[in-house]
Amino acid sequence: MSGASRRIETLLWTAQRASAAVLAVCVAVHLVTVVYAVRGGLSAAEILARTRGSVGWLLFYGLFVLAVAVHAPLGVRTILREMTPWRGRSLDVAAAAFALFLVAFGWRAIGGLFA
Amino acid sequence: MAKVADSNGITVAPLRNLPIIKDLAVDMTGFFDKWARAQGRFVPGPGAATDFAVVPPDSRERRAADAAIECIGCGVCHAACDVVSWNPDYLGPAALNRAWTLVNDVRDGARDERLAAVAGDAGCHACHTQQNCRAFCPKHLDPTASIAGLKRATVLAALKGKI
Repeated sequence: MSGASRRIETLLWTAQRASAAVLAVCVAVHLVTVVYAVRGGLSAAEILARTRGSVGWLLFYGLFVLAVAVHAPLGVRTILREMTPWRGRSLDVAAAAFALFLVAFGWRAIGGLFA
Repeated sequence: MAKVADSNGITVAPLRNLPIIKDLAVDMTGFFDKWARAQGRFVPGPGAATDFAVVPPDSRERRAADAAIECIGCGVCHAACDVVSWNPDYLGPAALNRAWTLVNDVRDGARDERLAAVAGDAGCHACHTQQNCRAFCPKHLDPTASIAGLKRATVLAALKGKI
């Protein structure tokens, strides 16, 4: 492994740790919100009425999706490298594609809540 | 005996994660090659030939080195490590523990090279903090803590562009 890729591996590891810290907060807020909405008996229309036009929820879930898109592909890449012979450039490309997939569909879903 | 013989029985087996030569004997070449790959040798710094280095015993670096220095190179931690069994290239707890003592040696002149050597998916970042090394070390060392120290040091070095 070259010096440059060791640096990149270290930075990717840092990104995964940092995104985990963000997710710890986001998941907690998300679960509390879900429990609150369900226990309060909010309908889908009532939930949409609260999220539509809400910049706060837009920013929160936008950050949540971003953290997932950083965290999950890096973790899956590590697991695949440990448990299968798959490694190298094709795995890196696949992990990057998975990240783009998560961002695209995650933000698309948030767009549906906001707009 | 009470600490090793649960229910009055013990299992004797060759060290895991190393090629068996015969019976209980294993080939430890790969184990010590990993020490070399982790830059486990002291490299004198620029002032080494001119004066004695003063290392206060209670300094942070000296205490960190003290905590890891008593390794006897037995290979038990390497045998206990599941990450080594998944990835035979992984440097393993003993080599990384050795690297951590040298990273904390203020006389050493190869800190950045060593941090580069122990970074990456075959180095300290592969550790899952399962702590089997810590549980089985006959010297009661904590290689997991040494590896955690390397993770912090390599992240700082990577952010500064030094590795």
